[in-house]
Amino acid sequence: MNDTPDSTDGEAAPVTTPDPATAEDFAALRALLLSPEQHEIAELRRRLDALGVTAEELAASLPEAIALRAGQDDRLARALGPTLETAFSESVRRNPQQIADAIYPALGPAIRKAITEAIAGLVTTINRSLESSLSIRGLKWRIEAWRSGVPYGQIVMKHALVYRVEQVYLIEAESGLLLSHVTAPDLAAPDADVISGMLTAIRDFVGDSFEPRADGGLRTFSVGDVTVLVEAGPRALLAAVVRGQHPPALLEKLQVTLELIHLRFAGPFARFDGDSAPFDAARPVLAECLETVVDTTRTRARTLVPRVAWLFVFVAVVVGLYAAISAQRRWHGALRALAGEPGIVVLSADRGLRRWRIAGLQDPVARQPMAVLAGLGIDTASVRGDWSPYLAADPPIVARRAARILDPPTTARLSLAGDTLVVTGSAPTDWIDRARADAPRVAGVAAFREVDLTPHLLAALRPMAESIGAQRLFFSPGSATVSASALRTLRDVATEWRSLSVGVGPRWSVTLDVIGRTDTTGSLEVNRMLSDERAQAAVEVLVSLGVPGWALAPRGLGTRDPVPAATVDEQARQNRSVSFAVRLGPGGVRTP
Amino acid sequence: MIQKKVCMVGVYATGKTSLVRQFVHAKFSDKYLSTVGVKIDRKPVQVGGQDVNLLLWDLEGRDGVQDIQTSYLRGAAGVIYVADGTRRETVTQVFELRELVQGAVGAVPEVLALNKVDLADQWIVTSADRANLAQVPWHTFDTSAKTGDGVEAAFQWLATAMVKSP
Repeated sequence: MNDTPDSTDGEAAPVTTPDPATAEDFAALRALLLSPEQHEIAELRRRLDALGVTAEELAASLPEAIALRAGQDDRLARALGPTLETAFSESVRRNPQQIADAIYPALGPAIRKAITEAIAGLVTTINRSLESSLSIRGLKWRIEAWRSGVPYGQIVMKHALVYRVEQVYLIEAESGLLLSHVTAPDLAAPDADVISGMLTAIRDFVGDSFEPRADGGLRTFSVGDVTVLVEAGPRALLAAVVRGQHPPALLEKLQVTLELIHLRFAGPFARFDGDSAPFDAARPVLAECLETVVDTTRTRARTLVPRVAWLFVFVAVVVGLYAAISAQRRWHGALRALAGEPGIVVLSADRGLRRWRIAGLQDPVARQPMAVLAGLGIDTASVRGDWSPYLAADPPIVARRAARILDPPTTARLSLAGDTLVVTGSAPTDWIDRARADAPRVAGVAAFREVDLTPHLLAALRPMAESIGAQRLFFSPGSATVSASALRTLRDVATEWRSLSVGVGPRWSVTLDVIGRTDTTGSLEVNRMLSDERAQAAVEVLVSLGVPGWALAPRGLGTRDPVPAATVDEQARQNRSVSFAVRLGPGGVRTP
Repeated sequence: MIQKKVCMVGVYATGKTSLVRQFVHAKFSDKYLSTVGVKIDRKPVQVGGQDVNLLLWDLEGRDGVQDIQTSYLRGAAGVIYVADGTRRETVTQVFELRELVQGAVGAVPEVLALNKVDLADQWIVTSADRANLAQVPWHTFDTSAKTGDGVEAAFQWLATAMVKSP
């Protein structure tokens, strides 16, 4: 029972053995039993003591040791992780300002980058829709530019699309002392150092009054159309005085500038004791923030796509206007022409939504109104006509109406002189009879007059007249005696005359020209007398045959107007003759 | 250009604004206008041939010292305490005021202006007071914003002290 615990636990032995003699024995026994193990323990203890390196030794080899270990695996990083995290959060808790100062130059860009990338997609979409839209505002400006004669660019400048950074202050954060200042070229330099102090005081005042959380502070304030943007950094403020509507990008630019200044002037900031000279070098950086900007994204957008679109719209409007005006003009011209057209009276012409409506009066013999309009280039499909018949008194219409009713032959021509219908040319006797009766009944015609109107025989009677014209009485040279054969011929002529006289009816008379001729032998005077005698001889025979004297017109031509023939002898024979011509005359001249 | 922020501190109606007005514009008005918040003015001076721009923060004088706005004091390179030599409480309160200011700006050159020295018949500052005031490491000037006595000297002394102890 005693041995077992002793052999396993050497240190328990003295506690359980109070007797010194026994203790010595026990120690000897222990040395005997456990000496190899005791040696091992002593050796281990020595090595452990030897391991106790000093801090100096550790410091010398620590970087290499860390590098070596880090090269082997990541256990060191894992082991250090929690410690570092704790140390960092402890440090932040104790002195947040120091950490904030240290990471300030890196933090801003990192955050902005993340935000920019997140928003970029959205912004692109918005920009595109802005660029492609022809806004009402743009249209108004264009009209204003057009009316005032001021270039469009200046109109845009005049309106709110412009912003201008007029002044930029670099201000020491703690004292409010002015470090550097730039002003737009054409502006008077203000009391920059006093303004700088007041800006700081105002920020202090606002900060004290409203106790904003963390490092909020006053960032923007506006007076009229002037806005002051304040970017605060650990060592300095950047204040920009902006006139007009500034884009959010301007704030970002100010941030970047302030960070740049913090980086570049870290030394001067640390040594600052009121001397602003080292910060003169910041002026070019500040000057980059001065800008007079027309919102270029919009105007540039207008210069491309919308400008082309505007051109199209303009051309379309011009073409449309021109078409509308010329259509209107053509229409009114056509209406005038229609109103001037004989036999047509336009009572009203209205523009419907898509069609024209015309109402008026139309003479049946007038031209068709639609045909008139079509002839003037009007699309008659878009016109609706509403015409009532009437009788026009226009002379051309009356003439046309008369022509339609009387239907004259092609050889006769009708015209109107006042209210008298005049006919000239030639016409068959039956048509003349009908025209005389019907003409006064044509509306607008009061009288009928024949001027140089030659009546001619009806077709049925014409062969008989030709037959008479072909008859010829031949005489012996120098003689006016009617021969036996001539007598027979005269009987035929008398018969044919009688037939004709009956044929032309009571209103007309048939007259025979009895024409005597001679051959060329003898004097002209003798021949003329001889031809008279020959004609007279024929007349006497015809009268004896029952042809009334008023119907016979003897005429001696002598050798004038000879009848042609193939030979001289034949011509002489042919001209020793009497021939006949049938003439029609008015029946009224007939004497009983 | 060297610039120094100087704060004018004191209870109400001790003549802080009048001192600045006298120093910057060489003008004085009997009319009392209470300053609200802070007024800032600029005065270029010369220290040893060097131009120094003094930015004078004229702080609103309050009734007591507790509610002074210490944020306006940040970054000050020098302080001018103003007490009214005709009002005892202003002279006694200046010590308390100084403690508050020191807490905000640390050790910077200081001037004590015992103002309204022109009102000799109402003057209450005794030699015992002066001994008391001399305990504090500031430079004391008897000033009159009305006549200009001691004004230039007080500001000039402070400017010199500020340039020499950055």
